[in-house]
This record gives sequence, C-alpha cells and structure tokens, in this order.
Amino acid sequence: MGSRGRGRGGGLSFTHEQLQSFGINRGENTATTLAPPPLFPKLEAKPLPLNCDAATDYMVIVKDQFIEYLHESPAYVKPNTRTDGIERYSDKYKQLALDAKRGKVLDCVWENMPAELRPQANRIRITSRKRKLDDANVLSKKLQTLEKKETLDENNATENKDENTVKKENENEDDEELEDEEEQEYEIDEGTDYANNYFDNGEDYDEEDDNLDDGPVY
Amino acid sequence: MSHQLGRVVSEILHQYFGEIVQKVGHDLFIYGTKPIPMIVKTTGLPRKQVVDSLRTLVKFDLVSFEPSFNEVVADYKLNPDNVLLLIRYPRYLLQIKTKFGSEAEILVEELLQQASCTASFLLVTVAAKYKDDKKKNITLVKLRDVFISIATARYIQQAPVADKSEVPSLEPVATIVPDIDIRQLAQAIATDTLADVSDNIYWKVNFDRFHQDFRDDIMVKAITRRIDENAGELMHLLLQNMYLTSAEWAAESNPTPVLDLRDAVDRADRTDCDRNLLQQYMDHYLRVLEENGAGFVVRVGEAGGGQYVVRGRDAATQLLLAALDHTVTERLGSKAARIFRLIRTKKYIEEDDIQKHAMLPNKECKELTYKLLEEHFISIQPMRKAASSGAMAKAVYLYHIKLHDVAQSLREMCYRALHNTLRRAQHTRAAHARLLDKQRRVRTIVHTMRVRGEPQQHIDDVEETLTPPELSTLKDVEARLKQLSAAQLALDKNLFILNWYFMYPH
Repeated sequence: MGSRGRGRGGGLSFTHEQLQSFGINRGENTATTLAPPPLFPKLEAKPLPLNCDAATDYMVIVKDQFIEYLHESPAYVKPNTRTDGIERYSDKYKQLALDAKRGKVLDCVWENMPAELRPQANRIRITSRKRKLDDANVLSKKLQTLEKKETLDENNATENKDENTVKKENENEDDEELEDEEEQEYEIDEGTDYANNYFDNGEDYDEEDDNLDDGPVY
Repeated sequence: MSHQLGRVVSEILHQYFGEIVQKVGHDLFIYGTKPIPMIVKTTGLPRKQVVDSLRTLVKFDLVSFEPSFNEVVADYKLNPDNVLLLIRYPRYLLQIKTKFGSEAEILVEELLQQASCTASFLLVTVAAKYKDDKKKNITLVKLRDVFISIATARYIQQAPVADKSEVPSLEPVATIVPDIDIRQLAQAIATDTLADVSDNIYWKVNFDRFHQDFRDDIMVKAITRRIDENAGELMHLLLQNMYLTSAEWAAESNPTPVLDLRDAVDRADRTDCDRNLLQQYMDHYLRVLEENGAGFVVRVGEAGGGQYVVRGRDAATQLLLAALDHTVTERLGSKAARIFRLIRTKKYIEEDDIQKHAMLPNKECKELTYKLLEEHFISIQPMRKAASSGAMAKAVYLYHIKLHDVAQSLREMCYRALHNTLRRAQHTRAAHARLLDKQRRVRTIVHTMRVRGEPQQHIDDVEETLTPPELSTLKDVEARLKQLSAAQLALDKNLFILNWYFMYPH
C-alpha cells in the first residue's frame, strides 16, 4: 500500500530527490567496483614521526632487556623439541643447553599458588582422613543413642495409642533426624573419595580407559 | 573484552613468554574462567606445559584464580588489563629513575623481574649482582635507604597474603615499611646463607601509584603548555594538596583553600619556575588557571580566601577530546576535524547546517561527514516528523557525538595498531632470526675476549665474520624494530589517557 508500485525494493530504494540530497548526482551511483579492496591500502597521509628522544631510547633498551631476561628464565615455557629426523653434529650441544634450562623450575611464592600448581602436588595430596565410625568407642556410643531412641519411641507408642497423629509426626521427625545424620556422614565420605579420585593427575587419561570400557566383544 | 583486545593480549604473551603461554592465555581469554583439565582439553597441550604456563601467568599476576565448586581445584581467569601493563614496564622504570635515581631503578627492575619477593632477598640479589661494578658503586646501606624511601612513597607495596588452603584466596594487606638490619644481610652475603634472613613478607610493585604519577605529569604538562611554567607549578601544588585531602582518583578533589596553597608556594623550592613571580601574582595565576585551564581547576567557594577543586574527571574528558581531535586530523584531514569540532560544539546538528557552518563545498562536506560516520567518530539520530508532511522530508537526521562510544572505538583502534606493531616486529624478528642470532653470538664472544684482554687483532677478526651486507641489513632491522617499539610506547600513552577516562562512570 505504501510503496506506490515504484521498483521492487519496496521502501529501500531512494527517489531521485533523496539521492540528490545525499550528494549523489545523476549517473554517479553506477560506479560499482567488483574487485576486492587492496589488502594494504595506500596511506592517504604520512603518519607523524615518533618522537625519539633519550627517554624513548632508554625505554626501548630496557624493554628489550626485560624480554631477554624473560626468555632466559623458566617463565618462558619452551615447546618439546621437534626433530625432523636428520641427525646433526650440533644436536648434542643444543640438547645440553636445553637440558640445563629445562631442569629449572620457576621461582614462585608457592603458598600463593593453588595446590595443583605447586611442585609435587600429587605427593602432598595423599593424606588419609580418619573416618568417624572407625573408632570403636564412637561407634558403640552412636549405637547406644540409637537404641535409646528406639526404646523411647516404643514407650511413646504404648502410652498414647489414641493420639496417633501426634505420635506419627514425632516419629517422622525422629526419622528425619536420623536420616540427616546418616546423610551427613555419607556426604563427608563421598567428599574425600571424590577428591582422592579426582587428583589422579590425568596424564594417563586416554591410555587405558578406552580398552576397559569396551569390554570383550563376542 | 573485545576481539581486538584478545588479539593484542595474545600477541603480547607471545612476545614475552612464548608460544605455549600464548596458547593458554588466549584460551583463557576466549572462555573466561576454566580449570586445568578443560584447558588441557581445548588447547591440546600436555598437562605439564599447561601447569608451567599457569605458574608463569599467576606469578606475574596476569591470571587470577578462585576455588571452583570442588574447592580443591581452581578456576583460572585472565586479566587482560595486567597483560597490557607489560608494555608499560619501561615507563615505570623511567619514572622511578628520574624521581629516585638509578638505585631505585635497579631495585624496581629486579622486583618487576621477580614479580614478588622478600625485601632481604631483593637487596641481597641486587647487591650481589652489582658487587663487582665499581662504576655504579652500589652499597647495601644505600640500597636499604632507597628501598625504604620508595616503600614509604608507596611505589612498592606488600603483596597480598594467602591463607592456608588448597586454593588460597589472596588478601591484600596494609603496607608496613620494614626495619631492615644491614648487618644481618651483609653476613648473609658473606656466608651465603640467605635462607636465615628471609622473612615471609613479600613485596611487589604498586602500579597504581605510578599511574597517579603519570596522571599528574600529564596534567602539569598540559597546563604548562597552555599557560606557562608558573601555572604548571601551581597545578603541581594543587595536585599535591589533593593527595592530602581526598582519594587518589577522585572525580573531584575536596576543596583546597587558597591560604594552604600560598603556604605551599612559599615552601616550594623548584628551580624551573620563577618563585617570586608566582608568589606575587598567585591570585592572578589562579584566575587564569580557572578561566583558561581547560576546566582542570574550578573555584567553588569564597571561604578562606577562595577554595579550589581539581577535577580529575573533566581533565580526563578534555584530554580525551584533544586526543580525538588529533586522531581525526591525522586520519581524515583538517577539514574533517573541522566538521568534527563543529558537531561537538553544536551538540546536535542537521546535515545542511554542518555544510553551512563548516564553510565547505556541499559535496566535500557530505563526503567527509559520511567518512566520519563510517569510522564511528560521529553518530546519527533520526527524528521522525509528523505524518502530515510529504514523502520528501520523512525524517530529520541529527548528527552528534557519543563521547563514550567514540572513546571505545578509539581504544579499539589503539588495540588494533598495537597488535599490528607487535605482529610486524615479530615478523621482522622471525625473518632475520638467523642474522640476529649470529650478531648476538659475535657480541658475546667479543665481550668475553675483551674481558680476557686478548689482542685487538683477534677481536677484529671475530667482528669481521659479520660481512658488510649483513651489517647493513642488521642496521635496517634494528632501526625498524626500534621504531616499532617506540610506536608501542606511544600507543600505550594514548591507552593510558583512555583508561583514565573510563575509570570514571559515565
């Protein structure tokens, strides 16, 4: 309705007057270029020269020194050496130089690092946490309290047989308490197991798993 | 967290720490926070290398961590802003050198290299390093004094302290200037038992303090260029007063009474300005500073002979505008800059009015306006007219400048330029790696020969292994690398102003 049938583009095309108001005259908008723009377009204006005073010189030198220091230090993580299969005379010396550097560990404040980044993280981790129920005394105490609770419940049951509803609520609460305790213990145990398992350092991640999972095929 | 920022950060990490750290850092930049196994999975690197990279990144405070849901493993997160600071390290050193001398520079350099270390370790290593250097004549006592003075001036601070858990959370602590026993340190050097004297207080460089210095320098320099040295000195004193009364980065400082300022002028002894002139005409200078000082300083009250406020936020905005004007001039020419300034002064302006006021031919004016629009320097706001008017004038288009957005796009430009220079330097270095390596080797050999005192002829022989064509290429390469480094430093200066502007909420 709105587009008075002029052109297929609907409202997208401009009228002659509109084009003129953009500064495009008749015949000027036909210059379509099909070639992609150049990868490195020519600079229209030469950039201003950088000021090169003594301060800049100093900063450039300091920067290079800092980078050089970092490259020599263990902070610069080197890739494993790739060989192209050709044995060279200089290989031995290169290897020696590499080994000398590789042995070094970055000098950090290890307390400020997460445990998994500290050296020998795996060995530190083997700490057995005592299970609560291993101790015989604690176990017997626990059992006694449970027994007491049971007898109490029974007493309650014989005394007020009529008020079934109230008693049931009580029982429910007790049950819940018991369940809660059990759940807590369960959770703690789960926690240690989980942590221990997790800290298998993952190096042999996809070496054996695949074979185990598949099982025999008949 | 833009695409350009990611590219810059990745390139910087490559230049400073190598390919593997770059991979890990880039992975963290893309995904946000991640635990180690995830990094191992996405980067495809062996776990040991990922751990090594993370150690490096955490050590230099480029990556932070927090316990994940499991509490014994950590989630790592890259701090791109800190990575960008690596470019600024030379500037910190220059600043501390001009302010505190070369001992301070050596101390801060060592501290930057170590990222964080104890005071005794720092002093002992520096002393040991320069023990044989008779020229500099560095003694332990001098180092100790310098250390205490830069600690008092807060250029270095105590590193945050960790609690004893699997994934420690770092708590910042207040810096206490230590009492260092020189005799103990001297003994430690003599007997080589450093472990006995080291305590558990770690130090690191306080970048924020340096940034405050940079800001002050920029403001003082701006006023000096605009008015004169005395006004610059007055600005300096106002800023110093600001430190006493308000927060460092406050958008507006607490008011400073003129009387305080007069006291400060009387006390100040700077050689580069005429003190008598400043004392005599301080009121005039303050008036000029207020009226013609780009809004850095305003008078807010009459109490105590007049009260003045330093406006950090306005200063940042003014500097940003100056930087923008400059960028437009350099990119699109002075005529485009005229249009840009016109739109800024008029706030909202129609296209026809631009043409009228800018006094440019119709076509050229439109072309430049569209170019400005295309490069995101200006924005357009359509205003619908009432439906009754004809099809011709459907809407009015008002041109205006959204300063925040323009600042963002300028920052993107800086990132892109920084990335390009880094990339280009990297390419040049890789292309001439063999030659540069050879040069380095020749230099070390010549150096050791000099130390050993071998005859000049042998040294010449070694030096001649670099042929004249090689030498000329090396000269070219070095000049280009130096130019690129200088460009990086200049870009970083621009980024500093931009970040200062973004520091205040808009």
